[in-house]
Amino acid sequence: MNLEKTLYDAYGFTSFRPGQKEVIEKILSGEDVIALLPTGMGKSMCYQLPAQLLEGSVLIVSPLLSLMQDQVAQLKKMGEKSVTAINSFLDAQERSAVLNNLGSYRFIFISPEMLVQPYIKSKLRDIRISLLVADEAHCISQWGFDFRPDYLRISEILPVLGHPRVLALTATATAKVTEEIKRYLKISEPFIYSHPMDRKNIAYDCKKFSNGHEKLEWLRQFVKTNSGPGIIYAGTRNKSQQISELLNQAGIRAAYYHGGMEHQDRIFVQQQFQNGELEWVCSTNAFGMGVHIPDIRHVIHFQIPTSIEGYVQEVGRAGRDGSPALATLLYSAGDEEMLESLVLDDLPTRNEISEIFRSEDGGGQLVSQGIVRQTSFRIVSYWKTRLTEQQTIRQIEQQKVEKIKQSAKIKKLITIDSCFREYLLDCFDEQLDSKPADCCINDGLDYSKFLSGRKTIAAATKTVTWQNRLDAILPC
Amino acid sequence: MLFEDILITLLKAVDGERTISSPYHLLKGKKSGQTLQDIGYYKLHPYFGILPKLEKDVYDRAVQGLFKKGLIVTDGEVVRMTEKASAVKLAPTLLNGWKFRGNEQLFMARLSLLVQTLSHIHQNSRVFDPVVIAEDTQQWVKNYLKKINYRDSASCKNIKEGIVQSLNAVEVDESNKMIVLQRLSGLKIGGLTWEQIAREESRSIIDIQVQAVETLHGWMEVIEKGDFPLLRSLLDGVIQHSALTETARRTEGYFKNGRTLEEIAALRGLKTSTIEDHFVELAMNDPGFDILGFMEASLYAKIIAVSRTQNTKRLRDIKENVPEASYFQIRLALATKGEIQ
Ligand SMILES: [Zn+2]
Repeated sequence: MNLEKTLYDAYGFTSFRPGQKEVIEKILSGEDVIALLPTGMGKSMCYQLPAQLLEGSVLIVSPLLSLMQDQVAQLKKMGEKSVTAINSFLDAQERSAVLNNLGSYRFIFISPEMLVQPYIKSKLRDIRISLLVADEAHCISQWGFDFRPDYLRISEILPVLGHPRVLALTATATAKVTEEIKRYLKISEPFIYSHPMDRKNIAYDCKKFSNGHEKLEWLRQFVKTNSGPGIIYAGTRNKSQQISELLNQAGIRAAYYHGGMEHQDRIFVQQQFQNGELEWVCSTNAFGMGVHIPDIRHVIHFQIPTSIEGYVQEVGRAGRDGSPALATLLYSAGDEEMLESLVLDDLPTRNEISEIFRSEDGGGQLVSQGIVRQTSFRIVSYWKTRLTEQQTIRQIEQQKVEKIKQSAKIKKLITIDSCFREYLLDCFDEQLDSKPADCCINDGLDYSKFLSGRKTIAAATKTVTWQNRLDAILPC
Repeated sequence: MLFEDILITLLKAVDGERTISSPYHLLKGKKSGQTLQDIGYYKLHPYFGILPKLEKDVYDRAVQGLFKKGLIVTDGEVVRMTEKASAVKLAPTLLNGWKFRGNEQLFMARLSLLVQTLSHIHQNSRVFDPVVIAEDTQQWVKNYLKKINYRDSASCKNIKEGIVQSLNAVEVDESNKMIVLQRLSGLKIGGLTWEQIAREESRSIIDIQVQAVETLHGWMEVIEKGDFPLLRSLLDGVIQHSALTETARRTEGYFKNGRTLEEIAALRGLKTSTIEDHFVELAMNDPGFDILGFMEASLYAKIIAVSRTQNTKRLRDIKENVPEASYFQIRLALATKGEIQ
């Protein structure tokens, strides 16, 4: 079989990106695969192409709604028409229309909580699923930085579907997480493809300050003397707005982006960034997914990120074009205290656990009453059906210990005097093969390659009247 | 119109008869009996549901602003306007929330995707990320594009010309039309966030949003009434032909089939008080509503007279003077605004 020809005929690409072909060949030969591919490396092609060749449908379980929407949009953009998504956005009528024609779709995206609903399960049983894709598979692991208990329920569906082959996709996973993916997806001997995580064109820098004010001042100088495009990860919504404000006051084109904004505004910020109308996006970790910009030159972390995995993923959005890019981590004394609370804040408290266990009707009203947080409710409700209250407390305690370990790992970035690159790879049990000339702050950096000076963006789209703007948008 | 002016307008209307949160529910488009009743009594149709996403803290801050400026004072549970507020001159508005019911968002979504598509296609760019994700809107625009022969540069020109002419006819400030245009995007031109527009104009986000809604309402009105066939289609299914809420419409159906209020409540499994709300809504909207099926002509006349002479629409005040009327009868009578002879 000529895979290149299929690739060209179906999608118009002449060659595969690294890893894609190996993964696709294994899938076609009937094996289960765990693929560790960085974002932006064409993960989705790993199931798109097999879908052209296998009979039946491909079922993609996607834990994040926004990600699912983006994937559907990307597939459609590539001309794929036979795509549907089953999630809470569908109303009853749309859902039944989709479910009654389920077998006619080549790609079926579904959220984990929809997957286990009896009616949907029965509909899935009736059609042929040739491949089950677990996207963002690290979410299945309670050791992962993004644990979603709903996701564990994928294993419930496998027998219903007659054990199709499984493809687990993730951008980053430690050995421990990979083990859990195997266990929960019941794949004993998968082919594991692991793309070298190391990105030679990204250099790691770290700047330390004695207080937050100095840090801000440094940032202001930096953006005044360097061009983007770049992302500044700010940690919180408020901070992202503050930093954006600061940059705008300095005459720099910047915007903030976070999950609290209305959907349309978020799309506008993405558009502007993609068009080069913005130099910087100041964001929480919500920004990045669904952003396909190859020439991001800077990723700046204004605060210590909450996990190594998250850090690597965010840094990995820089320099997709292969040209030099700089990842700068900013630290000021006392930041680590905030980190601790930020990391542990996500976990259910003892009080929340006992409230949910004590409630008789599931405890949904506890959320609206403000007694229990939404995320805590989700996590504890899951365990409630499987464990006793004491066991759940122990379970959460274990996760707490794990999270503290994770944050210790990330905090170490601030204190190490050895190679950043080597340390990051070590966290993922990878060996460093060679160091690029410009590796990291501790190996010495020649900034001239990364600090390009400032090109000002021409304010070409700045228009005075609405008629002007309409003319610019529709020059017909 | 500015947000503060809207608040003043709303508070002026209900002066001394409502709590400070009643305008909030009205702006959000809450379909409670109380809100719907107020709309009829006080003729607040333009403002109904114009800001469905209005956050309470934004509203509270604006209200605090009115207190600080000495425009309103509290009087027990209700709010009263001061003399200073009565002196504020308010411009007429193009807002028509009762008619458009928040559907300006649908009109805008269709227009955004249409303009973005034409912008790309006519500059030879075939692939882009759609600015609207909602599948039904995408499908709607696809069908529309097919019908208008969109690859033809003449149809692009026609649509553009239609936009220019119709928008020119909207009687709002040019800067408000710019807000709507800034929410449109095209090839290499991104849309602007509310915050970006507000910063550029040195105004508050809520003012910018209100002005966008007002401009859209004015624009939709022009398109509906004028000769803009290409744009007129964008309003398909956007304008509701009956101003009734869905549930009141169902009650109306039963009523027209000869059912009584109690029967309708039983049939629909709803409380009689809910059905009463529906009747008040019907009375408010239907000039031919037969109020004499619910009370003697003399009782009706008495209620209207008391309301006029005492200059009040407070149920309690009227009930004191017309104890033989039920609250429901008083509400019905007031809903017809005394226009029935
Ligand atoms: Zn190094």
